[in-house]
Amino acid sequence: MCETCGCGQPGEYTIHIPGDEKINEQSHDHIYEHPHPHLHTHGHSDKREMKVIEVNRDILSENNLMAERNRGFFEGLNASCYNLVSSPGSGKTSILEKTITGLGKIKKIFVIEGDQQSSMDAERIKKAGAPAIQINTGTACHLDARMVNQALKKLEIARDSLVLIENVGNLVCPALFDLGENKRVVVISVTEGDDKPLKYPYMFASAHLCLINKIDLLPYVDFNMNKAIDFAIKVNHHLEFIEISAKTGEGMQKWFSWIG
Amino acid sequence: MHELSLAMEVVDLASREASGNNINNILSIRIEIGDICGVDADVFRSALEIASHHSILEHAEIEIIRTPGKAICRECTGEVLVTELLSVCPRCGIIPEIITGGKEFRVLSMLAE
Repeated sequence: MCETCGCGQPGEYTIHIPGDEKINEQSHDHIYEHPHPHLHTHGHSDKREMKVIEVNRDILSENNLMAERNRGFFEGLNASCYNLVSSPGSGKTSILEKTITGLGKIKKIFVIEGDQQSSMDAERIKKAGAPAIQINTGTACHLDARMVNQALKKLEIARDSLVLIENVGNLVCPALFDLGENKRVVVISVTEGDDKPLKYPYMFASAHLCLINKIDLLPYVDFNMNKAIDFAIKVNHHLEFIEISAKTGEGMQKWFSWIG
Repeated sequence: MHELSLAMEVVDLASREASGNNINNILSIRIEIGDICGVDADVFRSALEIASHHSILEHAEIEIIRTPGKAICRECTGEVLVTELLSVCPRCGIIPEIITGGKEFRVLSMLAE
């Protein structure tokens, strides 16, 4: 049992299209052959031969290689992919539902949903009118490139389409995992506090666009928009910003133009 | 919490290197963790200790080498030591943007028999 987060077993995730049977995937299949690393041998008088194996390998290299494969897959189909990341409850799924309604007639949209458990988000996307696939990570707190690669094999993405990934709700861990997206979109809502970018700098540093959602609630919360934007720019001066309300539709056209 | 997933990657990596080199036991593993790579070194050590159970790394000593965060300030063009992503240049008071060190997160080497 993990002392840090209480999980027990090495990663086993499931990927399924809502309505289909769940298929278990092993998270650790060996795909790449590694060249044999450089070996030194030290002789010892007790006859146990010890060797130093030079590895010099980035721990995220497996994920990054798989992410590049995903990237190549999207390029081959002339598809665009966006990775939406945020805390739980920022409104990612609602944003996607409204995006499908708003853009679905002019652009084919496919959605990859990530949650620890449940297919509720993928069901909502299906109801909104787009093909969706649900990845349930079990105990893992983020999607990785391997999971997305497996999901893509089942989803049958069309040419020139838009692939939207809704990552597991978590502003910490997904920051480190390239999924092969074109751009990363960090979503915050005005109910979360304007100091969010300072508290979670790695995520904001890794993103291209910050969507500030639920602006219809601004009159009722102590959220200073200028402060929030300033904080976010401190962490990442390339970040773009769009203020939206998925509920009322305000600002959504700007978002559609950005991803369209 | 991602430290546990990453620790499992290290166990996998070690297993692959071991099977490729006829190794029975890994005595120690050296891992470099930069101060601003996004991984907490202490949490990672604990995660690796757990992930190593019943694996080739079960008895390995875990050696973590920390590397300092470094960045270049665009105002004064000086190199600044950064302990976190929001550290500021002591001369200019702004966040130096060009990161030149501290993002490393890799397995350096293993001692095996």
